Amino acid sequence: MDRRDFLKILGITSGTMMVSSCGVDKASEKIIPYVIPPDEDVYPGNPLFLNTTCTECPANCGMQVEINEKVYHDVRSLYPTKLEGIEGHPLNEGTLCMRGQAGLFRLYSPDRIQRTMMRHDQGNFRVATWKEALTRIEEGLNRAKQDGKKNAYFSGRTTGSLSELIDRFCRNKDIERLPEFEVFSYANIKRANEMVFRRPQIPKYHIEKADFLLTIGADIFETHISPVSHSWRFARARKNENFSWYHVEPNLSLTGVQATRRLSLRPRSEMVLLTFLLQTVLEQNERKNNPGITIVRSLPNYPLDEVSSLTGISETDLRSLATSFGNAKKPLVIAGGVSTAHQLGLEVAVLTSLLQWIMAMTDELVDFSQAESYESIGTFKDVESLNEQLDQNTMGVLFISRMDPVSMLPAVFKFSRQIKKAQLTVGLSDHMNDTVRECDVILPLSHSLESWGDSQPCRGLTNVIQPAIDPQYDTRSEGDILLQLLNNESTYKNFLFEKWNKNYGDAGTKEMLKTGYRSDPVPKVMVSFNTLAVSSFVRHMEKPNFNYGVVLCLSPSIRSYDGRSRDLKLMQEIPDPLSTISYGGWISISPLTAEYFRLKDRDEVELTAQEFSLKLPVKVQKHLSDNVVMVQRDLIPVPLTAVDHRSGEASWYVPNISLQKTGVVLPVPILSGSMEENHRGILPPDDDHGHRHDDEEHPRWYPEHEHKDYRWGMAIDLESCIGCNACTAACYVENNIPLVGLKEHLNGREMSWIRIQPYYDANDNFEFVPMMCQQCDNAPCEPVCPVYASYHNPEGLNVQVYNRCVGTRYCSNNCPYKVRRFNWFDHRLVEPLDKMYNPAISVRGRGIMEKCTFCIQRIRAAKDHAKDENRLVQDGEIIPACAQTCPTEAITFGNMKDTESRVYQLAQSERAYHALEELGTEPAVNYLGKRGNNHEA
Amino acid sequence: MKKGIAPAIIILYIFSFMVFVSLIGYFWQQNRKTPKQPINFSHQLHVSRVGLACTHCHYSVEKSPAAGIPPVQTCMNCHQAVATDRPEIKKLTQYWEEKIPIPWKRVYVLPVRNYVYFSHKRHIKGGLQCVNCHGNVEVMPVIKQVPELEMGWCVSCHRVKNAPVDCATCHK
Amino acid sequence: MKPKDMKEPEYNQRLEQDILQALKNPSPFYWVAVFTCASFFAIGLLTWLYQMLKGMGVAGINNPVGWGVYITDFVFWVGIAHSGTLISAVLFLFRAKFRNVFNRSAEAMTVFAVMTAGLYPLIHLGRSWFFYWLFPYPNQRQLWVNFQSPLIWDVFAVSTYFTISAIFWYVGMVPDVAIVRRYASGIGKKIYSILSLGWSGSKRQWRHYTRLYIFLAAFATPLVISVHSVVSWDFAMSIIPGWHTTIFAPYFVAGAIFSGTAMVLTLVIPMMKIFRLERYITVDHFDKIAKVLLFTSLIVTYSYLVEFSLAFYGGHKFEESHFLYRLLGDYRYLYWTMLFCNSLFPLTLFIRRLRRSIAFLFIMSLFVNVGMWLERFVIIVSALAKDFDPYNWGIYIPRWPEVAITLGSFGMFFMFFLIFTKVLPVLAITEIKEEAVE
Repeated sequence: MDRRDFLKILGITSGTMMVSSCGVDKASEKIIPYVIPPDEDVYPGNPLFLNTTCTECPANCGMQVEINEKVYHDVRSLYPTKLEGIEGHPLNEGTLCMRGQAGLFRLYSPDRIQRTMMRHDQGNFRVATWKEALTRIEEGLNRAKQDGKKNAYFSGRTTGSLSELIDRFCRNKDIERLPEFEVFSYANIKRANEMVFRRPQIPKYHIEKADFLLTIGADIFETHISPVSHSWRFARARKNENFSWYHVEPNLSLTGVQATRRLSLRPRSEMVLLTFLLQTVLEQNERKNNPGITIVRSLPNYPLDEVSSLTGISETDLRSLATSFGNAKKPLVIAGGVSTAHQLGLEVAVLTSLLQWIMAMTDELVDFSQAESYESIGTFKDVESLNEQLDQNTMGVLFISRMDPVSMLPAVFKFSRQIKKAQLTVGLSDHMNDTVRECDVILPLSHSLESWGDSQPCRGLTNVIQPAIDPQYDTRSEGDILLQLLNNESTYKNFLFEKWNKNYGDAGTKEMLKTGYRSDPVPKVMVSFNTLAVSSFVRHMEKPNFNYGVVLCLSPSIRSYDGRSRDLKLMQEIPDPLSTISYGGWISISPLTAEYFRLKDRDEVELTAQEFSLKLPVKVQKHLSDNVVMVQRDLIPVPLTAVDHRSGEASWYVPNISLQKTGVVLPVPILSGSMEENHRGILPPDDDHGHRHDDEEHPRWYPEHEHKDYRWGMAIDLESCIGCNACTAACYVENNIPLVGLKEHLNGREMSWIRIQPYYDANDNFEFVPMMCQQCDNAPCEPVCPVYASYHNPEGLNVQVYNRCVGTRYCSNNCPYKVRRFNWFDHRLVEPLDKMYNPAISVRGRGIMEKCTFCIQRIRAAKDHAKDENRLVQDGEIIPACAQTCPTEAITFGNMKDTESRVYQLAQSERAYHALEELGTEPAVNYLGKRGNNHEA
Repeated sequence: MKKGIAPAIIILYIFSFMVFVSLIGYFWQQNRKTPKQPINFSHQLHVSRVGLACTHCHYSVEKSPAAGIPPVQTCMNCHQAVATDRPEIKKLTQYWEEKIPIPWKRVYVLPVRNYVYFSHKRHIKGGLQCVNCHGNVEVMPVIKQVPELEMGWCVSCHRVKNAPVDCATCHK
Repeated sequence: MKPKDMKEPEYNQRLEQDILQALKNPSPFYWVAVFTCASFFAIGLLTWLYQMLKGMGVAGINNPVGWGVYITDFVFWVGIAHSGTLISAVLFLFRAKFRNVFNRSAEAMTVFAVMTAGLYPLIHLGRSWFFYWLFPYPNQRQLWVNFQSPLIWDVFAVSTYFTISAIFWYVGMVPDVAIVRRYASGIGKKIYSILSLGWSGSKRQWRHYTRLYIFLAAFATPLVISVHSVVSWDFAMSIIPGWHTTIFAPYFVAGAIFSGTAMVLTLVIPMMKIFRLERYITVDHFDKIAKVLLFTSLIVTYSYLVEFSLAFYGGHKFEESHFLYRLLGDYRYLYWTMLFCNSLFPLTLFIRRLRRSIAFLFIMSLFVNVGMWLERFVIIVSALAKDFDPYNWGIYIPRWPEVAITLGSFGMFFMFFLIFTKVLPVLAITEIKEEAVE
């Protein structure tokens, strides 16, 4: 053994003593082969892609799953590690929303139901086999037959083959299939369309083709029907120079702050505004359709000043709205959300449809031939009738599938007690939830990524659901369960394939499985205007009364839809874009209200109305109207709210609320230090537009960086960014970013690499600035790192070498954008969530600084691929996770050295500027400021 | 002469400690390089005598970052028939029948594995031979780690072959 | 001071007796003191271990504020370390005789303070176990440190300073150790005789010795300026408003001397009382040191004013908002306290009577220590808490590990100092003799 070996060994031993003493993650010492190789030619490190459907919300976007081969707990197998939209899918055009991105958190959730369970006589559950459970159900059905009781099948929104199978099952076992339950049932819209067009449906809104958009309370970017599709359609529409968009709402929504003009009006006064608009358009002579004299006559007549006083919108705003609406060639009106969910919601919906019909009822804007499939969705009325049945104790077996009415229904429904009145309740669910806990038999469902299926979100579109991973637990798909209950030998997969082959033929089926969806031509639907119904309805519209004091408005949440996505851990880690609050609940109040009750952020208040009280901290929210306090409906137990018996729509308001300051100050994770940007140079410089402060040469101490082939850069169009946080979610999943939880958020230690920063611009309008590492050419973080862990690589990235980092945190201190994240602890995802770790990038241990590097793993992969074909990487070949999933294509990534690249072109735009330009950091990220016309207050 | 004792003792102590440490280090090294395998598979036999190509078993070495550990099936393709009576092969067939993957011990371990990304494909396409890094496997009855796999070792070669030495080449 | 009537030899006799008295029979009080300090030190170390195993997160630092108490302590201790060299080297070159009574303890203080300070850069590392990556040594990875980084400059500055001041201290001590050896016995005698490097006090030795001492003094002098300038560049080299200022170097040096002098008083006054050295450390000496204190206090105050006026004169929005925040923001009380301790309270030293009141000086020194610690804290924390991008503004509140480790460092410092008082002569005997001769 010579000297060098000796020294080496000394080094190694001392080294290992270090390592072992300091728990640096050790490499697993085993390598596990397959027993039998998988049939596809998969190689470790080369991901597979599979097209299926996102089932996180009823929109059912097309979803592409990235599947990676890795060893987990000594088993070499395939695991889905990333979800993305299917390129060119008619609904989502290759993108997903934040909830869709977080789908893996449901698949790998620790609180999945893993075994079938049955309640035994003492009342608590015991694990059972499938056989036991199914026989128990059989017995239940037989018993019900003997006792002459009814059975019922109560499920969440179901479309496609599963719906057919359920029908067959119900017919066969004489079970009544109840209308499906969705909190967002759009009952009023459906009822209105039935009345006006004889079609109880929700049309497809082709926003991209409109030149004027009027949205009345419809939160089209958050939950309304198909948010992602609305987002990209809106982005297309905005490309049209003279597209303008008015949003009218009583509360404050993410959608609202995006509109060209946002008018907040008094709750429930929408119908007044609409009648006013109707009158004005009827006065104009050029309009498409004539509603007939009876309707025109029977419309109530509000003079301008009265409209203004009733709605709380200034007369000038009303005029400008009316004129720009009147002048529009292709105006589109969408009502929904909180505006159709109250006693006068039906009026709002009807008048909206009427207005649309009069102005421009063309199916290129409002398309009933591609209507969303919501026919089978019931309303709160249906739940009430179910309750009555249950009260009569005539219910035998009650199936409850894929939903959680107990926690979603108002407490008055007493559903948890009601369902006990059935002889046997069978709960089908993938998650433990309040409803399932009350059932007698629990059948664990496979996640949609573990099972076969299809869905029809709207007419003429069929989405495939195919498994990306074998069921991780002893779970089954609903289809398989039903087939077994029908004593049918075949599996649901075969059932589907028979059907598909029958309908689409073998080739068609293969094609569909490859693309993940199939769109078939649909017969054109000509809507016919139902003058009689409308006129009688309009005649009997009663004058609204507005004495309801302060109103509590339950707004839908972009993070949890109707509450179903709240279990996804990631959805709490990512803050709500408007309030930047991550964990826990809060109430938004207007600055004036805050002043009146002497409330500051984080102060606890008690809200009380009859039979309802609630304690939550407040967040002061500019632009929220003073007679409204807003809470996200999923954050509180749903209060008793009146149900409109004409349509069955529930009201989302609690009137006559009284606030009471409790004096307690609660710890609330408000991530934004301040929303006042006051000309710090993060928003576009509104003085000299387009002028680049850092264009002129800066004296440099060190030589300029040379970038040979590549200089990676990014362009972010603030005009398109709608603050939907899809990018943030995508980034979390793609880059193995740890979830740190409430406590660390309160310590100001969130880890997101990209964040949506809401600011008030010069005119107090909301602007969202996605902030991630700017990859400065003249980066402050680089010179201060003592060990070169942070350095400038030949392609212009500020690379962070994780295993070189010693954790001085100097780089973070010196970063003006504060986009570097320090691992304060070893945050690992809890099992089995850690199955979703992306093998292409490291999981950082404690004491290491981490940050965005434009998804360097994707850059490396693309370069590797390009090198195989020995060429350079082409434009658009690399797409970082954030850009990939941005529904409005606000983020563009590419090579700044290539003057042909899109990113280079955008960087030349006169809207382009750099954040904090005056510091001369020369970022690689170019922001494109909003055009002036969006600034008018 | 008495004066010299104290220093002598001290020096002796230090020296013996160093020897002790280095011995530990040496054996630890040896042991790590040749761990006990569940089946004592001989590369020598399969390469020199049977004459199999590396890629016959390490199927993905040209196609993916990982060289690919052969599925048990690959072994069974021959060992259904060949040398079935040997004790080691019996072990193999047992694994096969019980459908349990063979828990091979890893021989080539990168010091900080989850921070380093090595691509076999890239290096093979770059014209390197397996032997360059893995040594003469065909004469190894028991496989052992030939190079130290330290960063310096990689970097020196990259320098010589003027392959990229940008940190991001291997660290992500 | 030597009384007029007293003969040279007997004075020396008594001097040696008095000073060596300090080395004799430690009182139980002393043992208690040492033990207390030691246990604080131990607690500090354990906390550090805990922090390493659990993660940096156990401390209060967070996302905007990446540096907190640890770096504050680092700067504080380096500052303390300053007056040592100043008093011994610079004042020596200036022939300021009053230094003779302070220099030994001041130098000791310096050495221990640097040792303490040197720990903090390690403590604040996220991965302390890789601290050696901060040193430029040839390694198999073929990696080098980044010489652009002020942190690397720190590594050099601090280590150099430590070496020089240690040598300076030791060399200065050699003749005295020889004297101690004379009185010592048993194993102690052996050790002292090794330490005294066979010092015989011959003419020739003295000639070389004085030469060497002057050289070392000359060497050490620039360090007084350089070290803390380098430390200040940790901040001045960044782009953070409130850190990125050209005046930082002189400002920090002055501050360092200020705090260092204060700490000398904090240490010397009790020492004098306990070992009854009033005969040698007289009120006149304190009067002079108090003047140094006053002077540096004025410089520091001036820097405070300059900082603010630069910010507002410059009219740079980030600078402005930062200094407003420092004055009126979340940390205002700390800042105001600091102003009182460092700028207002020391003004009392213009009054001669107070300058010559030992008790008052002691209290003053404590105030200044606190004030200077707060100064560093406010500069570091308030600058980070609110910088450019309003979204990630936040505040920082220290947690118990930071407190524990800080106390631990004080424990370490005082423990070393106490040990020093018992094993080495606390006054520079020979120099006091010389002083007496003249």
